[in-house]
Amino acid sequence: MTHGSIIGKSVPRVDARGKVTGQTKYAGDIQLPGMHHGKIVFSPHPRARVIEIDCRAAQAMPGVTKVITARDLPGSNRYGYDVAHRPVLVPEGEETRYIGDAVAMVVATSEELASLAAAAVAVRYEVLAPLTSPRQAMEAGAYLLHAAAAGNRCCQREFVHGDVAVGFGAAEVVVEHTYFTPRQEQAFLEPEAGVAYRDDAGVLHVLSCLQDPYGVAEDIHLALAIPKSRIHVKGTPVGGGFGGKLNTTIQVHLAAMACVAEVPVRLVLDRAESFIFHPKRHPTEIRLKLGAGRDGTIHALEGTVIADAGPYSGRSPEVLGLTMSGLLGPYRIPNVLTRAEAIYTNNLDSGAFRGFGAPQAAIARECVLDKLARALAMDPLELRRRNFIQPGSRPTSPMLGDSPVSLELLTKRILAHMGPRPIAPKNSTKRIGRSICFDMPVFDVGAIPVLGKSGVGATVEVHSDGGVSVYAGGTELGQGITTVLAQMAAEQFALPLERIRVDMGDNWTSPRAGRTSASRLTFGLGNALLLATGRLRQTLLARAAQMLEVAAEDLLFEDAEVRIKGVPAKALAFADLAQVCWDRGDQLRQEGWFRSAEDRYMYGHTFMAAAADVAVDIATGEIEILKLANVLDMGKVLNPAMAFGQLYGGAIQSLGYGLMENMVTVDGQLKTPSFAEYAIPTALDLPREFLAEGIETPYPTGPYGAKGIGEAALNCTTPTLLNAIADAVGVEVDAIPVAQEHILAAVRKQNLPGSRAQTESKWTQKEIV
Amino acid sequence: MTRQSLGLKVNGTSHALELEPHRSLLNVLREDLGLTGTKKGCHSGHCGACTVLLDGAPVNACMVLAVQADGHEVTTIEGVAVDGQLHPLQEAFIEYGASQCGYCTPGMVLNSIALLRETPRPTRSEIQEALAGNLCRCTGYVQIIEAIQSVANGSK
Repeated sequence: MTHGSIIGKSVPRVDARGKVTGQTKYAGDIQLPGMHHGKIVFSPHPRARVIEIDCRAAQAMPGVTKVITARDLPGSNRYGYDVAHRPVLVPEGEETRYIGDAVAMVVATSEELASLAAAAVAVRYEVLAPLTSPRQAMEAGAYLLHAAAAGNRCCQREFVHGDVAVGFGAAEVVVEHTYFTPRQEQAFLEPEAGVAYRDDAGVLHVLSCLQDPYGVAEDIHLALAIPKSRIHVKGTPVGGGFGGKLNTTIQVHLAAMACVAEVPVRLVLDRAESFIFHPKRHPTEIRLKLGAGRDGTIHALEGTVIADAGPYSGRSPEVLGLTMSGLLGPYRIPNVLTRAEAIYTNNLDSGAFRGFGAPQAAIARECVLDKLARALAMDPLELRRRNFIQPGSRPTSPMLGDSPVSLELLTKRILAHMGPRPIAPKNSTKRIGRSICFDMPVFDVGAIPVLGKSGVGATVEVHSDGGVSVYAGGTELGQGITTVLAQMAAEQFALPLERIRVDMGDNWTSPRAGRTSASRLTFGLGNALLLATGRLRQTLLARAAQMLEVAAEDLLFEDAEVRIKGVPAKALAFADLAQVCWDRGDQLRQEGWFRSAEDRYMYGHTFMAAAADVAVDIATGEIEILKLANVLDMGKVLNPAMAFGQLYGGAIQSLGYGLMENMVTVDGQLKTPSFAEYAIPTALDLPREFLAEGIETPYPTGPYGAKGIGEAALNCTTPTLLNAIADAVGVEVDAIPVAQEHILAAVRKQNLPGSRAQTESKWTQKEIV
Repeated sequence: MTRQSLGLKVNGTSHALELEPHRSLLNVLREDLGLTGTKKGCHSGHCGACTVLLDGAPVNACMVLAVQADGHEVTTIEGVAVDGQLHPLQEAFIEYGASQCGYCTPGMVLNSIALLRETPRPTRSEIQEALAGNLCRCTGYVQIIEAIQSVANGSK
C-alpha cells in the first residue's frame, strides 16, 4: 500500500473552508422552526437558603412561554459526573452552593424577553456565610456542603514509594517551599450554547457544544428520567473546550426547558454567565520538600497538595491523581511520600482544564528543583541531568508507561535552539534570566478504566459510489481530530481526502468512544478506525481478487484503485469495486472496537523540554520574553501544521497562566467577570522569538505510531518562565500570575542597584491568589 | 419601545428594517438577517469575535447600534468570498492552519483584510498591533500571523 501520501502531511483541515467562510454552524447559530429562547436565573449568593421563588410577575411578562422551577422538573433533579449531587434547579428549602447554581429558568419568544423575565423572577434568600477557601472549609465546625463529605473533603490521594525517613536521613541538603496557583479560566471564545427539541415520536434531540455526548445523555437521563433510547445528543463543532465543556454544562437545563415548555429552545450563556458557570482549573497550594546529596542526587521528595474543588465533585479525583504523578516528573526519586486532597468550597467550580493538575504540579516541582540547585550552588540544568529517568526505565509513579525517548536528546535540542545566553545592554535596568525545565506529560492509551479501558469504537462505511463515511464519538474542539481520522481513512484506502466524510460526536450514529479529553482521541479513535478499515480492506481485496483472478496478497490500494502489484494496468477503480461489493451483499460497514492490551493501570507519556530567556526591567517590573522554545517528543506526527498549532496554542495558554490569568473570587463572588478583568494573551503577548520542535519517535501501540500531545503543549512553559524570572532578578517566585508590581515589590525589598527604592508596595505574592 | 426605520447595506445587499434602537448591529446581523458567520464572544467589546467592516473599517459589531449603521456599508465574513472564490487571506488561513476551533476566524479574517488594505506590507509588530483586539485561545496566534505575512509578501 502507498504509505505516507497523506499521513504526515500538513493537509488542510477538512473543516477549514467552513470556518474561514463563516459557513460552519456552531450551536448558537442553529435556527429551528418555532424556536424559543431560554435564560437561566442564577443565584446571586454563593451560599443561601432559597426561601421562596415567586414566578408570577415573570410569567405574566410579554413573550414568556414558561417559567420553570424545581417543582416543574420530572426526575431526580440531580446529575453529575462521578457523584450525582448537582441540582438542576435548587428547590425552595435547599441551599445554593455557588453563584453558578440555578434556581429558575425562563423560556420566551426572544432572548431579550427571556432576560427581562429572568430578572423579574423574585427569589427570597436567607443569605448564609460561604466557605471561601479550602483551609476555612477544613476547619472543625465548618458547615458541610455535602452531608456525605466529612471535613468538606471531596477526595484524597496518597502515594508512598520507598521510605522518605530514610531518604531525608541520607540527604545532605534539604529544601522546602510552598507554591500557590490560581483559578484559571478556559476562556474558550464560544460561550456555552445549545438547541433542544422533542420530535413527534417523543424523542429528545440536543445539539450543543460539548466534549462527551455519552456523559451528557447519561446526565439528562439521571436528572430528568428520560429513557436512554429517547435521548439523542449531537455534538456541534466546538468553539474551544479545553476541558471547560467536558462535564455537562447547560445541556440538562436546555433539555428541561424543551421538555417542560414543550417547544424547541435555544440556550446561550453570555460571557459573564459562562465565567461563573463551568468548572475551571483547580487552585492549589502545594508544599514540596526535596532532599539531596551534595552531588545533586535526589534522595527523597515529600509533598502535600490542597486543591479547591469548588462546590461539586466532577473531575477532582482525576485531577488529584495527575497532580500527584506530576510532582515527580521525569526524574529518578527513590523515596516519595505525597498526599493530595481536594476540598469543597463555595467558590467557583473546579474541574477539567487541559493538563488536569499536571500544570500545577510542574510549577511546584520545577521551581523547588531550582531552589535545590541554588542551595547546592549547582547549575539547575546540571541538577536535572543528574536525576533524569533513563530511557527504557519506568518512572516512579505506577501510572506511567515506558520511555523510549531520552531526555538527553531533548536537552541537546533545546540547548541548540537557545544558543548563548543573551547579555543585557550596558547601563540597562534590564536583567536577563534563563531557565530550562522538563516535564513528562501523559495521554490516555485506553488503560485507565474510567477513560477507556472498556473500549473505544469507531465505525467506517464504504458507500457503493466509492465514498467513505467515518462515525466517531469524540468531538471536534479545534484540535483537529476530524482531519486526522479523515487522513487515516484516506491513507487506508488510498483515496483523496475529499472522498472521506467524518461525522463526530453523535451518541446515536457513533459507537461509544468515551470523552474528548486526556489527549486520547487520536490514539483511541485512530486505533478503532484502523480495526474497522482493516476488515473493510479484507472484504474489498477478497472481492477484487475474485474479479481479477489473483490472490488477495497480490493486490494493493493505490491512487483510488485496487491494483495488481507490479501490473498497475490491471486495476479496478475503488468506486467500481465498492459498487460490486454492494451488489454482491458484502458487508461494507464495520465497527472497530479498540481495547488496550495493557493489563496495568497506566498512561502513555511523552517527554518535553521548555526553555525561556526573559528580560526583567528592575525599574518598572516589566517582563519581556525574549525567547521561548519547546521541544516535545511527539510520536509520529500525522499533520505537522495541526500538531504545531497545538504546541503554539498550549504554550501561549501556559504563558497566560503564569503572567496574567486569575479568576478572582472574594467571598465567593467573581471579581473578574469579563475579558477586561480576566486578561488572556493577545497577539501582542507573543515572545520575541517563539519556536517549537517535535521529535518523531513512533509510539509502538499508536495508530501509525502517533501519540496524544494536546495537553503536553501546556505543561512546561509556566515553570520555565517563573524560573527564568527568578534567575533574572534573584527573586523566588512562588505564586502566579506574576505581574509587574510583584517584581517591583520584591526588587525594592532587596534594594537592587538600579531599582527605585521608594515606598514599599503592599502587594505580596500570596495576596493575589 | 418604538421601532425605527433604517436601511442597512450588508455585503452589497440593501435591507429595509424596522428595529428598536437599542439593538446591536451584531444581534441584528445574526438574528434578523440570519448572517451567523459573525460570532458573539462577549458582547462587551473585548474579544473581537464580532469584527465586521463598517465602510471598510473594522469595528466590534456588538459595540455598534444597528441604527448607527443606517446608510452605511457593512461587510461580514459571508461577503468576503466572491462567487465561491476565496479571498487570498482565507486561502492562506487554510494553508497555514490558522484556524483551529474557528470561532475567532471570521473576525481575524476581516480585521486582516482591513489591515492589508491600509498597510500592504506590515511588519510582524504591525500585525500584532492590528490583531490585539481579536482574542484567540486555540492557536497562540503564530500561524495566523504567518498566514497574513504570506499574503502581504505576495506569495499568495
